[in-house]
Amino acid sequence: MNQLPGIQPPALFLRFFRWFCNPAFAEDIEGDLVEMFGRDAATGNLTRARMQFSIRVLRLFRPGIIRKIGYQSSYIHPLPMFKNYFITSLRSLMRSKGFSTINIVGLAVGLATFSLISFYVYHELSFDRYHQNADRIFRIVENLKTENEMLFQSTSSPPMGPRFQKDFPEVESYVRFQQWSLLAQRNDITGYESDSYIADSTVFDVFSFKLLAGDKKTALREPYSIVLTQSMAKKYFGNEDPVGQTLKMDYDNYKVTGVMEDVPGNSHFRFSNLISFSTWSRNNKDAEDRAWFWNGFHTYVLLRDAQSADKVRAKMKDFLKRNVEKGGMYYEDLPLQPLTGIYMAPERSWENGTRGSMSNVYILSIIAVFILLIACFNYINLTTARASRRLKEVGLRKTLGAQKRMLIAQFLGESLIVTLLSSLMAGILAWIALPAFRTLVESPLDFSVLPEAWKVIGATLGLVLIVGLLAGGYPAFIISRFEPVQIFRPSAQGIFGHHNLRKVLVGIQFLISITLVAGTMLVYDQLDVVRKQDLGFDKEGMIVVPTNGDTAIVKYLDAVKNELMQVPGVQHVAGSRQIPGQNANNLYTEIEMTGGKMSPTNINYNFVDHDFLTTYNIKLLAGRDFSRSVQADDTTAYLINEAAIKDFGWTPEEAIGRKVRRGREGKIIGVIKDFHYRSLHTKVEPMMIGMTNYVGRLSIRLEKNGDVPATVARVEKKWHELIPYLPFDYSFLDVEFDRQYKADQQLGKVAGVFTGLAIFIGCLGLLGLTSFVVERRTKEIGIRKVLGASVPSVVMLITREFIWLIAIALIMATPLTWYLIDQWEQNFTLQAAINPLRFVMAGTAVFMVAWLTISFLSLRAANANPAKALRTE
Amino acid sequence: MSRHQLGEFEEIVMLTVGILYKEAYGVAIIDEIETRMNRKVSIGSLQTVLRRLEGKGYLTSEFGEATNVRGGKRKRYFSLTTLGSRVLRETQEQRQEMFKAIPRVAFPKS
Repeated sequence: MNQLPGIQPPALFLRFFRWFCNPAFAEDIEGDLVEMFGRDAATGNLTRARMQFSIRVLRLFRPGIIRKIGYQSSYIHPLPMFKNYFITSLRSLMRSKGFSTINIVGLAVGLATFSLISFYVYHELSFDRYHQNADRIFRIVENLKTENEMLFQSTSSPPMGPRFQKDFPEVESYVRFQQWSLLAQRNDITGYESDSYIADSTVFDVFSFKLLAGDKKTALREPYSIVLTQSMAKKYFGNEDPVGQTLKMDYDNYKVTGVMEDVPGNSHFRFSNLISFSTWSRNNKDAEDRAWFWNGFHTYVLLRDAQSADKVRAKMKDFLKRNVEKGGMYYEDLPLQPLTGIYMAPERSWENGTRGSMSNVYILSIIAVFILLIACFNYINLTTARASRRLKEVGLRKTLGAQKRMLIAQFLGESLIVTLLSSLMAGILAWIALPAFRTLVESPLDFSVLPEAWKVIGATLGLVLIVGLLAGGYPAFIISRFEPVQIFRPSAQGIFGHHNLRKVLVGIQFLISITLVAGTMLVYDQLDVVRKQDLGFDKEGMIVVPTNGDTAIVKYLDAVKNELMQVPGVQHVAGSRQIPGQNANNLYTEIEMTGGKMSPTNINYNFVDHDFLTTYNIKLLAGRDFSRSVQADDTTAYLINEAAIKDFGWTPEEAIGRKVRRGREGKIIGVIKDFHYRSLHTKVEPMMIGMTNYVGRLSIRLEKNGDVPATVARVEKKWHELIPYLPFDYSFLDVEFDRQYKADQQLGKVAGVFTGLAIFIGCLGLLGLTSFVVERRTKEIGIRKVLGASVPSVVMLITREFIWLIAIALIMATPLTWYLIDQWEQNFTLQAAINPLRFVMAGTAVFMVAWLTISFLSLRAANANPAKALRTE
Repeated sequence: MSRHQLGEFEEIVMLTVGILYKEAYGVAIIDEIETRMNRKVSIGSLQTVLRRLEGKGYLTSEFGEATNVRGGKRKRYFSLTTLGSRVLRETQEQRQEMFKAIPRVAFPKS
């Protein structure tokens, strides 16, 4: 029965058997198997023997024989083992309190920053998604073609909505909005409700605004019906039930037919009340049906399903040809903008509500990831650096039979403990910082925006896990790789082979820091250029008071202005329909071209009084300003801006005297220098200025070096004497104008704050690393000093490698930052030149901070008594 | 009594271990059962039962010397424990009781 030499059982099955079999049984069963195989093989039929062997192995694959899952071996008792891991982890954390604090605090700040920014980004991306039909709602926008350019508008005209519904079976419903600014009055409470909107009665079917009182079908049906938001109801009615009561707005009485919840903060436009559309359309029946060019409305359509937008778009050319009779050539296209994309879409003219900025979201996300990376790198660096402290432990464990993967598990577990502690701390930090963060990003950041709690908790745990593995993975791998022999041998040279990786990581930290510092400085440069840009008018020291066309003011305009001029500290007063920074009216006009032909065009208008140009300090290039001595100016005189005459190809002098027809015939009397009457994001468009008594705003120029608050108080007193019933709801023009750059300024502020944080975390790591290096080289430094080394040379010894790293990081950061900032600046019409000096400054700043951090410790080491250092053996 | 319920195959395996006395290891047990009972026994089912009986404390086992025949693997010899032999005896007596209790008339004439 001897097994014949060379005849072996099938290796594959034998290996399989060894793999699955309970180690306690493996030896004798394998012996049995081999013995039986030998017997079978001796009969001569080798194939059969092998087959039998395989079958036997397969039949052994059953519970009772298979090894217990999860246990490496029956001799390891896992619970005490894990307990031991846990205890040694805690001990090693406690033993080096400094390092542990750096690790935990660094990770905590990183995680807190990351979660706050994630919250903000999530909030920004959640805009308008709370509507049940969000994916089926689209906004009709216009691409208009004029003789000279393409206009991209967010608005549409009143007939479009109804005609869409009639012509396209895919369109289920529509809502039209128009923003009205009204003065609301009830008893002695008055206030400007500049976010009043008229809306079709379908608004509650299309959007998911919650109506708390009133009937959503009929609330906005009758003219002069108004639905208030909760906060507006509270403002004017206190604790009374407003439904059924009347509210005076401007000169009309509105009946309150409902109360709704406030519009959520993550809506691209928000309103304080809705007024029935019929309030407008009952007096404008003709316009509602036919005014295809009255682009003063925002129309939203509800499609039957989200996919049919393409079908509607395909029929658009035909639709335009069919419906827009005269002047149809101006409409190039009517795109449909998905509701959820409006907030982040490129800005069109006449947008309602606020705009988000995708590039800001990207930039902030990048910063968040950067900060988290810096914190993780700290952990990796400090842990691998300090691995030598754990070598004896690892060596002992290995000698006692610990396997590599168990050690990896131990050190990963340790990093998970650290991450968990940090995340608890991060939670507290984020909670404390949330109010400050809200003010910083100027966003309400309401918790209601977040998805269900379990998703948030899941995401948080996922983050903790990822960070724990990311930070702990490499150190665990390194530490578990040490060979016991290597560890116990005094010259453990091979252990620090990963030193290069540490350099790379510190280098990346420097790279990130320099990028952030230089980037922030360049962002501020750009914002400075924007702020200091010559706007073509003087915005400093100007306050603006809305009047909403109050009849008394319209009637006694000059008298009111004179009275206000008498107030000490007031230089000029002017009335106008719009002020710079606001939208302008785009009106149909015919203008006399070269050759005498009247050419139709759409051009922006503002209407002002005699003192507008002087008050705003707007320069005339040719002709004259409106004059009180020329009676005809009131109705027939127009000013035109530089951009317009360039468009028409005229010199300033050629423009004077040209005929203008807009209802009534007039002529151009002057050419003004371009001024930024809208945003700096768009270039100055052609514009004309006419005269009016119907002023919407009074602009009051104050003496620049006077006491501004005192003057404002005096003006307010005078205002209350003159027009006691109108609130003195003033604002500073420069503040209002700068508000357009809110998003950009926010970015500057936020970037500044987080750059500081990133550098702080980076320094923490550097501090830890330096203290480790210093500690390890205590004896070397002692010997050097004994042999006569000076303090500076010792400091230099330690700081040298960091200086190199900063230099390399600077060289790499420069092109990267240059490119990013250059991309970002494309958002502006006027771009700041990128100043190379900023990179030098950023490099120096990071260097200084790093150097201070390092020398703090290395100086101490260098100054220490060498005798002490050498005695520690 | 009911605590020590033996399955049919368990009983056969224990009897065989008893029969082989000092020589009861895997292959020998299989051979013995196959010759005596004239039935095929797979190593899988045998080993499962052996380990189970050992777990219950009816059998005990120890390694023997290593031999060349088995690729250097040692044999594991099984033997009955005191508990095992008592259970076996009880089972036997129980069967005997029941056998005796069958009325004679119930046996068809052979």
